[in-house]
Amino acid sequence: MSVEDRTAPAVDQDAPSLGARLGASAAVRWLERWSLLVLLVLTVAFFGFIWTQTAATFMQLANFQNIVRSQTVLAVLALGAIVPLVCGQFDLSVGNVAGLASVFTAAAFARWHVPLPVGIVIGVALGTLAGVVNGTVVTRLGVSSFIATLGSAAVITGIVNWYTQGLSIIQGIPPRLTDFGGGNWFGVPSPFYVVVLAALLVYYLLEHTPYGRNLHAVGGNVESARLVGLPIPRIVFLSFVVSGAAAGLGGVLLVADSGAGNPSVGSTFTLTALTAAFLGATSVKPGRFNVVGTLLAIFFLATAITGLTFAGVRDYINDLFTGFALVLAVGVSVLLSRRRGTGSA
Amino acid sequence: MPDAGPALSLRDLSKTFPGTRALAGVDLDLRPGEIHALVGGNGSGKSTLIKILAGVYDADPGGTIEVGGRGAAPATGWTPRDAFAAGLRFVHQNPGIFLDLTVAENIAVGAGFPTGPAGNVRWGALRARTRELIDRYHLRAAPDAPMRLLRPADRTMVAIARAFQDREENQHGILVLDEPTTALPVADVELLLTALRRFAAEGMTILYVSHRIDEVLSLAGRVSVLRDGRLVGTVDAAGTTEAGVVGMIVGRRLEAGAGAGPAPEGARPVLEVRGLTGGPVRSADLTLREGEVLGLAGLLGAGQSELLRMLFGALPAVAGEVVVEGAARRFRGPADAMAAGIGYVPSERAAEALFASMTVRENVSAGSIGRYFRGLRLRHDEESRDVVAAMREFLIRAGSDAAPAFTLSGGNQQKMVLARWLRRRPRILLLDEPTQGVDVGSRQEIYALLHRAAEAGTSTIVVSSDFGELERLCHRVAVMRRGLIVAELRAPHIDEHRLTELAHRSEEAA
Repeated sequence: MSVEDRTAPAVDQDAPSLGARLGASAAVRWLERWSLLVLLVLTVAFFGFIWTQTAATFMQLANFQNIVRSQTVLAVLALGAIVPLVCGQFDLSVGNVAGLASVFTAAAFARWHVPLPVGIVIGVALGTLAGVVNGTVVTRLGVSSFIATLGSAAVITGIVNWYTQGLSIIQGIPPRLTDFGGGNWFGVPSPFYVVVLAALLVYYLLEHTPYGRNLHAVGGNVESARLVGLPIPRIVFLSFVVSGAAAGLGGVLLVADSGAGNPSVGSTFTLTALTAAFLGATSVKPGRFNVVGTLLAIFFLATAITGLTFAGVRDYINDLFTGFALVLAVGVSVLLSRRRGTGSA
Repeated sequence: MPDAGPALSLRDLSKTFPGTRALAGVDLDLRPGEIHALVGGNGSGKSTLIKILAGVYDADPGGTIEVGGRGAAPATGWTPRDAFAAGLRFVHQNPGIFLDLTVAENIAVGAGFPTGPAGNVRWGALRARTRELIDRYHLRAAPDAPMRLLRPADRTMVAIARAFQDREENQHGILVLDEPTTALPVADVELLLTALRRFAAEGMTILYVSHRIDEVLSLAGRVSVLRDGRLVGTVDAAGTTEAGVVGMIVGRRLEAGAGAGPAPEGARPVLEVRGLTGGPVRSADLTLREGEVLGLAGLLGAGQSELLRMLFGALPAVAGEVVVEGAARRFRGPADAMAAGIGYVPSERAAEALFASMTVRENVSAGSIGRYFRGLRLRHDEESRDVVAAMREFLIRAGSDAAPAFTLSGGNQQKMVLARWLRRRPRILLLDEPTQGVDVGSRQEIYALLHRAAEAGTSTIVVSSDFGELERLCHRVAVMRRGLIVAELRAPHIDEHRLTELAHRSEEAA
């Protein structure tokens, strides 16, 4: 049988170019990239100019400062959470880890009277430790990350409630920390600078280090990654350590922002952080979890929810809006990956 | 029921795909209660014929299918429903068995659970039906036994019983078995064959598709051979020999192979393998010399792919020694093998080699990204320059190095995967089916790339089920059969037909 005979009839022909396949003009692609930014601008315009009921209060500097300040903790959590997501793992404990860090950071100040830097280190170290535990359970025991972190989230909640008896720790927080949390630098809430720093770090990690590239490879195709010699367990383990450390830092920011160690912080934060991560993955670099998209998603969600609250909608809008956004974002991600002929999100 | 006519009669079955004639005017008759074997090489048309019978493919107009004297039906427009109504039942290589369910539950998956008025499963009725099937088909199983506890041969028999459960005791059907023994351990093969002989003796007609000639000759009454989509002939198993059947499969085509020229005889060995054992591979010995292209031929499942994976550290070896450039090595994973200068291109491109959603650049530098990390950052420009150069060198046609891999054609994806390894200038390259799912043009280019790499000193081991490809590429070809290396051919004596013969032959004849 000659070589030509065996050409399989149904095997793939030349695939059409990306543009042709997506049927996308440059403008459509620009819109796809910057959809979240456009949404954010439209939301501000709507509540700030169009809807007269909210226009006056909404378009004030203090309002925007509030929105930014209220989202700093979430932003740091979401930035950390995208690191495991890039390699295909879920960390469903970020909110609870942040709660744990906030409680023990506050306790370190209130009960053990440690100096400010030591308290901060305690918070971040606790988060890192939680990440080490998550990463170990996932990579050594082979428990799916979904289950492992859902379990650790519950365990952490238990520990926090046992330690605090459900009460916030409000005394003995160093004023320097709360001043930082409530203050502004050049009109921008000072905790936001921590967010910028964290964003730069995660961006650097994902896009400018071999580790980041390897994370993407593991997330893209585990078996291919294994067969190009990548140490999958180590890569996955480290991703949980990073998200744990970020959640610990988020816990410290929480103390700075609220002046307390708050035992009720937990799953709501996780849900919103992951929503932002998935929503962010539909934009800027569609189909990939990315830093800028995540930040845009957080501020879009917060702006929309604040606007609706100003318009008189009550608290439940928070959950409703976040829930819808999560499902919608994941739906769009699945569509994007299906269009690419790869797996689902 | 009139005993005279054939149980199944096919006339003038043809199937044309764009560019190829997969099946050309095949006639086939199965007698009632007969075991009829259908054999042929890769691409001979066996699976096309089965798919037409099952109603999966639409045959070209003109052919007919007649079952048990019901009158000939046109093969065009023959649907799965028609096949089922005519009593045709198909059991494939992986017979759709659920290992964690019980025998009774597996039986019910085929025909639905018997339910009561409230939609509840009537377990008693299901158990009774299963017990009846167990008796009728002499299954060594109990209704409530988990499938996992059954021997592999018995699992296949449960699948057969499941397929025929709606037939009455005396109403025999036609069983089409597609390579049922490929996945079975050697000890189970005889068990299954014995059961099949009994089914046939009780009146079942069996069309048995296999590439194991020895098995076919011991089982079947008659053997039909397909080659290049045509029926070469139908012979009585008793009146033929293994060599006779192989001769029919191979044909008598005289065709000069391009060949790789004589092996670099005096070159020093870069890889020595002694007694390597693991998976289906038993005690493999190999020597690979510098600049040599060594082929591994064999039937599907003979162990060639697993041998490659063990050499790359992707599958643990149970025993044996691997010596690379004089130093004994023990690979705990692919990274160790890569450090020893070994590269590996797996056969399942999409599942094991490609990062479909990532760019060409990221695909090419996967596994070697570390070299671009200097001064605490990735040198994206340098990476891009290198990949663009690699695209030129390895003939990858893509919009740019930033194009996502899924937008490339199969051939260009494969050249991209090859480039990933070839640009590292590996000492040893392991290739599993390097031109699978690749268009003709890219195939020629891949051959050229491999020749060039061999001339530059890379030693290569190629696994391919396309023996013509081995004839064309290799200095030397080792033939594997059921986990053993059983023969070796050297250029210019490598010949596709000889390889086919060696791969098919049974142990006794070797």
